[in-house]
Amino acid sequence: MDLDLRRADYSLSDDQEALQAAFETFFERECPATRVRSAEPFGFDEELWQRLAGMRAVAMGVPESGGGDGAGLEELILVAEEVGRRVAPVPVIEAVVAARLLAAVPAGADTLDAVLRGSVIPTIALHAGGGDQLVPGGSVARAAIALVGDDLVLAERDRPPEQVANQGHAPIAWWDLGGSDVERRTLATGREGRDLFEQAGREWRILTSAALIGMSRAVLDLGVQHARDRVAFGAPIGTFQAVSHSLVDVAMSVDTGRRLVRKATWYQQHEPGVHRHLVPMAYFYAQEAAVEATTVAVHVLGGVGFTVESDAQLYFRRAKGWTLVAGDPQRELGALADQLFGPAQVVGA
Amino acid sequence: MDFSIIELDDETARFRDEVREFCKRYITAEVLDAEYRDGNGFDLELHMALGERGWILPTWAKEDGGAGLTGLKASILALELEAHHAPSITKGTTTLVLPAVMRWGTDELKAEVVPGVARGDIRFCLGYTEPDSGSDVAAARTRAFRDGDEWVIDGQKMFTTGAQNCQYSFLLTRTNPDAAKHKGLTMFLCPLDHAEIQAIRTLGGERTNMVFYDGVRIPDRYRLGPVDQGWMVLLGPLNAEHAMADSAPPVTLDSPGGMYGISAVFALEAAVAWAATPGPDGRRPIDDPLVRHRLARHALDVEMATIATGPAGRIISSEVAIRVGADLIDMVGPRGLLPRGEKGTVEDGWIEHSHRFAQGTATYGGTTDVFRNIIAERVLGLPRSAPPTKSPS
Repeated sequence: MDLDLRRADYSLSDDQEALQAAFETFFERECPATRVRSAEPFGFDEELWQRLAGMRAVAMGVPESGGGDGAGLEELILVAEEVGRRVAPVPVIEAVVAARLLAAVPAGADTLDAVLRGSVIPTIALHAGGGDQLVPGGSVARAAIALVGDDLVLAERDRPPEQVANQGHAPIAWWDLGGSDVERRTLATGREGRDLFEQAGREWRILTSAALIGMSRAVLDLGVQHARDRVAFGAPIGTFQAVSHSLVDVAMSVDTGRRLVRKATWYQQHEPGVHRHLVPMAYFYAQEAAVEATTVAVHVLGGVGFTVESDAQLYFRRAKGWTLVAGDPQRELGALADQLFGPAQVVGA
Repeated sequence: MDFSIIELDDETARFRDEVREFCKRYITAEVLDAEYRDGNGFDLELHMALGERGWILPTWAKEDGGAGLTGLKASILALELEAHHAPSITKGTTTLVLPAVMRWGTDELKAEVVPGVARGDIRFCLGYTEPDSGSDVAAARTRAFRDGDEWVIDGQKMFTTGAQNCQYSFLLTRTNPDAAKHKGLTMFLCPLDHAEIQAIRTLGGERTNMVFYDGVRIPDRYRLGPVDQGWMVLLGPLNAEHAMADSAPPVTLDSPGGMYGISAVFALEAAVAWAATPGPDGRRPIDDPLVRHRLARHALDVEMATIATGPAGRIISSEVAIRVGADLIDMVGPRGLLPRGEKGTVEDGWIEHSHRFAQGTATYGGTTDVFRNIIAERVLGLPRSAPPTKSPS
């Protein structure tokens, strides 16, 4: 048995802490729950998006050679966690993943310039294949990157397709990648195209995981506050272990899930060929934790938690609303198994 | 964030080889068989050999009985011992108590016990729990009465694990029954030569003990800290055991962080090895979607047990070990029930053992329920859970 001797440092650098604080302050000021509500049902706030551009939220993730600030995933997860914490109605995760992909291929340069100028929001169609699919951020994006056959394709439209109504009030839309209303350009082909597409999918999962941790943390705070304040049977309900222990389980998931996301992030950024199972692992865990956290919060808040006046339901809707567009999360365990145990062998096939 | 590989210089690499040679020599199949059978948590020859090298207190200076190891080398030593399944319970309790002895013991007491701890021939166990008190540590009733320069101890302790291997118990006593619960306690490093030890066997295969103190007389030099202020003395080791201490080592390794995660790691490794081996029909269980999906889920849970820290690490690692152990034994089927050494046993019986062993981990050192209270109150700032009040008459 040979053990990897590795560091296990989950901490942030001073610069990272400053970045985190800046985005925490930004979203706290710019994105109260009222703003999330007023953006419903479309899930997009143009003004917030503009201000976020002022924070260089997308540009920071693009390499300096592409006109960006060269931040890595380590920094981007800090932004994503704050996005999730306020369930901000802006498709920043999709946009930054797509922008990084555009920066990786020469054919993406023109569109990337438009993205950095703010005239185009780009996104990624998460499912390989050429047909109709629901695309995250697809109702506000004019450019979507997709894997069609063996080609990594940039599909562009004059205007985004109409949003489709959905439980999470997310800005999703059907994109017909083979349709007549999209103009297609090939960004890369064959192995290169597939690898870039896979990498983008992994980055989307990592950033979404961080956002889900942020969501979980936010609803935990709501639940804890209520458990301190609400008196029943002559005592704050937080004194009852049936209530407090369910909140403790959420707190453990938030803290441990954040560590898992950071570990997966570090490997993806610095040693992407190693421990590849960590990305589907972090994504699966974070979405499961967010569903549990929002379920607990809605319940701890009692009848009020179930009403549309409750902020908890904003989060409940988005715990699945921001993730299901990637498909059944249980499939992530299949990806995890393939990475850890090697592909399944079919006897007699 | 930094998860990079720690490159070992030649000297450190040689040290690692030396530790591996040591493990092969002293942690033999016989030692592991005996541990599986007797659950002693201790092997005398191994412990003395560790002491001979200064490896019981590896970071202590050589002149103090340690080996003067760097943090990295000490981590390598701990990791290799763990990976080779070294019996470690008694070493663990001994080193847990030692800081309290160093902090509160008189020079005379330290001279009496500390060199022996470093050599290996003096060992400590934890004497907190009683028949009527466990997680509620401060409810202890074992009495200590002062009689001139001596103390007389009367009472009974439960689950004093490793007492059969130890010379002293880190003993919690009540010296003032009239004071408030936490205010009338005094700690002793009580010699065990006049205490009566009775074995208790556990479902997990461990040996633990009842220890009876029937008028045991000990000199005052065995007292640790001020009379009636034992709670303060106890808190150091208790918090360390509760993994509440905030001093993280400068280098931590990719190793089970939650204290009971290791049991689940071994069981999972055994199950993955079993699943990758073709059965009588030539098929590998790992290719069965039902097995594959569950193993993936368990790998996730074991990862969480590994990276969780503090009180959450204690809870998650224990509960993961319980949940994973119960399902792995199902997956393996009837052979999963066979113990180490039996015909047809799977992977040395680690899964069979883990399923039983995991149950106790939810109780050791305070139950998982108590730890949830700790997180609720200290981390989340929720109001303290109230004991039942008198019903209105």
